[in-house]
Amino acid sequence: MNTFLAILTYFAYCFIVLVYTIKIIKYLKLPVHLRWELYPVIHEEKYQYGGSCFEDVNWWEKIKKKNWSRGVVYLLKEYFTLKNYLTRNLLYWIGLFPWHIGFIFIITFHILCFFGALSMVLGISISPGSQDLWGRILYYVILLTGVLSFVAGTLGSIFIIINRIVDKNLRTYATPLNFFMYLFTLIVFLSGFYSWYFVDPHMSEYREFWKGLITFQFVGVNTATMVHIILFDLFLIYLPFTRSLHYITRFFAFYLIRWDDEPNIRGGELEKRLIEQLNKNVSWSGPHIESGKRWSDLVKYNG
Amino acid sequence: MKAEDLGKKSNQLITIEPDDLIPLPYPYDDPTNEPPLKQLTEEQRARYEASLDGIIAIGIPKPSSKEEEEGFVKKFISGLEKLLTPENNWTFLQPLYHSLEYCVKCQICNDSCPAYIASGKKEIYRPTFRAEVLRKIINKYLKKKNRLLLKLTGSDIDLNWTLVARLGELAYRCTICRKCAQVCPLGVDNGLISHEIRKIFSQEMGIAPKELHELGTMQQLRAGSSTGITPKALGNIIEFMEEEIEEKTGKKIKMPVDKEGAEILLIHNAGEFISWPENTEAFAIIFEAAGIDWTLSSDLVGYDAVNYGVWYDDIQLARIAVKHAEIARKLKVKKINVGECGHAHKAMIVIADRVLTGELNIPRESALPLLQELVCNGKIKLDPSRNNFPVTLHDPCNMVRLMGIVEPQRGILRTICPQFKEMEPHGVENYCCGGGSGFAIMQSMNFPDWRSAVSGRIKLKQILEVFQDVISPEIKKYVCAPCSNCKGQIRELFNYYNVNEKCGIFYGGLVELIVNAMVDIKKPFIDWEWH
Repeated sequence: MNTFLAILTYFAYCFIVLVYTIKIIKYLKLPVHLRWELYPVIHEEKYQYGGSCFEDVNWWEKIKKKNWSRGVVYLLKEYFTLKNYLTRNLLYWIGLFPWHIGFIFIITFHILCFFGALSMVLGISISPGSQDLWGRILYYVILLTGVLSFVAGTLGSIFIIINRIVDKNLRTYATPLNFFMYLFTLIVFLSGFYSWYFVDPHMSEYREFWKGLITFQFVGVNTATMVHIILFDLFLIYLPFTRSLHYITRFFAFYLIRWDDEPNIRGGELEKRLIEQLNKNVSWSGPHIESGKRWSDLVKYNG
Repeated sequence: MKAEDLGKKSNQLITIEPDDLIPLPYPYDDPTNEPPLKQLTEEQRARYEASLDGIIAIGIPKPSSKEEEEGFVKKFISGLEKLLTPENNWTFLQPLYHSLEYCVKCQICNDSCPAYIASGKKEIYRPTFRAEVLRKIINKYLKKKNRLLLKLTGSDIDLNWTLVARLGELAYRCTICRKCAQVCPLGVDNGLISHEIRKIFSQEMGIAPKELHELGTMQQLRAGSSTGITPKALGNIIEFMEEEIEEKTGKKIKMPVDKEGAEILLIHNAGEFISWPENTEAFAIIFEAAGIDWTLSSDLVGYDAVNYGVWYDDIQLARIAVKHAEIARKLKVKKINVGECGHAHKAMIVIADRVLTGELNIPRESALPLLQELVCNGKIKLDPSRNNFPVTLHDPCNMVRLMGIVEPQRGILRTICPQFKEMEPHGVENYCCGGGSGFAIMQSMNFPDWRSAVSGRIKLKQILEVFQDVISPEIKKYVCAPCSNCKGQIRELFNYYNVNEKCGIFYGGLVELIVNAMVDIKKPFIDWEWH
C-alpha cells in the first residue's frame, strides 16, 4: 500500500504538470491575432480612467514603456480577493471566495509539506519545540495553511453547491460535471479536515510521507490521512480535465488579449509574424471569397 | 429555456411585450404608452426565419427542400470547423479559444448587457447563451464526445436548420459593445462569440444583413461608399457644403480634395455627407480657422471611413482597411485622421494595425485629440456662453471602451459647454447606444423597432435621467454623440419615442458645438432643426 500511495502521488504530480504544460503550450502557440483590447488597459499611463495613448496627437511618437508589474499586482490582488464577484454578486462570492481560498491553501499546504520534508532530510526538526527557527516557522505555517484550506474549502464547496442550485441564473447553466466537481472538492477538503481533527493534529504524517517520497523510502500513514492523500492525488489527476487552468490562462487572457496594445511597427518582429499569417491560404467559401487564395491576395479586391 | 432548446420546434421562442421592458423615466413612465413592436406580416413569416423572437434582422429564407436544409446545416458545421483553424481564423483564434474554453458560467456579465437587461432578462439575450449553444455544438459535432460525456457536460444538443438559423439571427441581438467582456474576471468575451458566429454566416455561408454586406462593404468597394456616393457625387456634395458654409457663416472655404503631400488626410463616415453635412462642414471651418494642412480624398473608398467588415467579416474588414491605407500612401499624406465615427476609429486605427504591413502601415489617429488641442490651447477663439444650454455626452463604445479615447471630448465640452453634465455610467463603463455593430443602419422589416425598444432602451433611460431636472420641451438640450452610427441610432430612438417633441432633446456631433462657440461666426451654427 505504501508503494502504491507513493506511485500514485508521483504520477498525480507528474500528470498535472505534464497536461498543464501541454495545454499552456497549445494556448501560447495560437497565432498572433488582431488587436482586440479593452480599456482600461492596466499598463497605460492613464489607466485609472481608462485613457490610452490614442488620446495624444501623433500618439506613435509618444509610446511609453509599459508598466508590466501593475498588471501582475492587479491580477494577484483579484486572485486573493475575487473583488469583481464581491461587488457584483455577494451571495456567489460567499461560496466562491472560501472555495478558492481552499484551493490556494491546499496547494500551498502540500508544497510546504514538501519543503518541511526536505528540511527534515537535511536534519531540521519540524515541530513547535524545534531548536531551529525555520523548523518552528514551518511547523506553524504548515498547520495554519492546512487547517485554513480544509475549513475554507469545505465551507466553500457546500456554499457553492447550494448557490448553483438556488440561484436560477447559475442552475440553468450548471452541468452534472459541475456538481461532480463540487462534490469531489468537498470530499477532498472534508477528508483533510477529518484527518487533521481526529488523527493527525500536527500534520506530521504528511511530512513523513513526503520525506519518504524524497528519499524513496516510502512510509505508511494512518487510514484517514491515506484517504485524503489518495483523494487529493485523484483530484490533481482530474483537474486538467476541468476549466481549472483558468488560474493561469487568466494571465494570458489579460496580457495577450485584453491588454495587448502592442503596435505594429514597420520592420518589427510583430510585422514579421503578421506577414507569415497573411501568407496562409484561406479555405472560406463565401461567395465573395476566392477559396484557396492567400490572405494577402484576397485583400487586393476591387468589388 | 436552455441552450439546447434553441433548435426545438416552436412558432416563436420568445415574445417581447411592452410590459416586459424595463421602465423609463418621466415622461415615459407610463408603460401603457409604450408603443408595441411592429408585428411581421404572415408573408414575411412564411418566407423568412422569424421563430426566435418574432424579429428579423438578417432575413434568412426558409428552405424549400430537405436537401437545402441539410446543406445549410453542413455549411454551418464546415464554417465552424474553419473558425477553429489557425489558417482561416488567425485573426481571432486565440481570443475565441479562450472564451470557449474558460468561461465558468458565473453569469457575472449578465447585468452589463443592455439588450438583456432592457428586455426584462429574456434568456436568449443573456450574454452567455450564444456561447453556450456554440460550445455544445462544438462538443457534439466537432469534438465528437461520447454520449455519456455529452450528458455529463450538458452538451447533448441537436443540430438542425432551425437551430442554425435562430443562432444566426441571435448573433444580431448583441451590439458587440463588449461591456460584458469588460466585467469578466477571467477575460472571457461573449461579444466576440457573436462576432465569430456572424463570421461563419458571412465567410462560409454567404449570409449577412444586406445593409452590412451587399449595400455595405461590397458597395463601398465597388462604388466608393456604402452610402452609394460616387466620386462624382462627392464633388457635388462638397460644392454644396462650401455654399452652405458661406451661407451659414459668411466664410468662403474651399475644401481641399486630393491635395498631395498634405499633413492630414481626413476621412469621414460618408453618412455624414448625406445625413449631417453640418458635421463635415464644421470640421472644414475648424481646420481652416486653425490653419491645418489637410485634405479629403475623392478616390473610391477614400472618402468613406466606414468599415462594416469589423462587425461580421474579417476579409471585408481587411480589404477596406487596405484600400484606406493605399489611398493615403498615394496621396503621400503624413497621417490619416478619422472623423466622428466610432467603428471607423476602431477598425482603421486599432484592428487594421495588424493587417497593414510595410508601406501600408501609415500613421492613423483620431481627430478628437487634435480638436482638443485646438480648443483647449486657444488656437481658435471660442465663447462658451454661446453653448449655454444643457449638454450631455454619449461615449461611443468603439472610441472609449475599445480604444481608450475618453478625455479629449470631455476636455472640449468642459471648455465650451458651461452646462455640460455626464450621464451615468460614462467613460469606459458607458452603455452602448443600442445601434452598435451595424444595428444603426440595419432596416430589415421590424428590426428597427427592436433596436429602439430593446437595445437602445438603456441609452434612452440614461439620457432622460441626466436631463430629468430640465426635461421640459421648452428647454433645448443637446446630446453630443461624436459618432455617426451612434447619431443614427439616437435619431431613430428619438423618433420612435418622439423625444425631441416631448422633451426638447436634440442630438449632434462634437465639432458642431465647437463651431457654435466660435466668436467670429455671427449666427449660431446649431439650428436646432430636427432631421
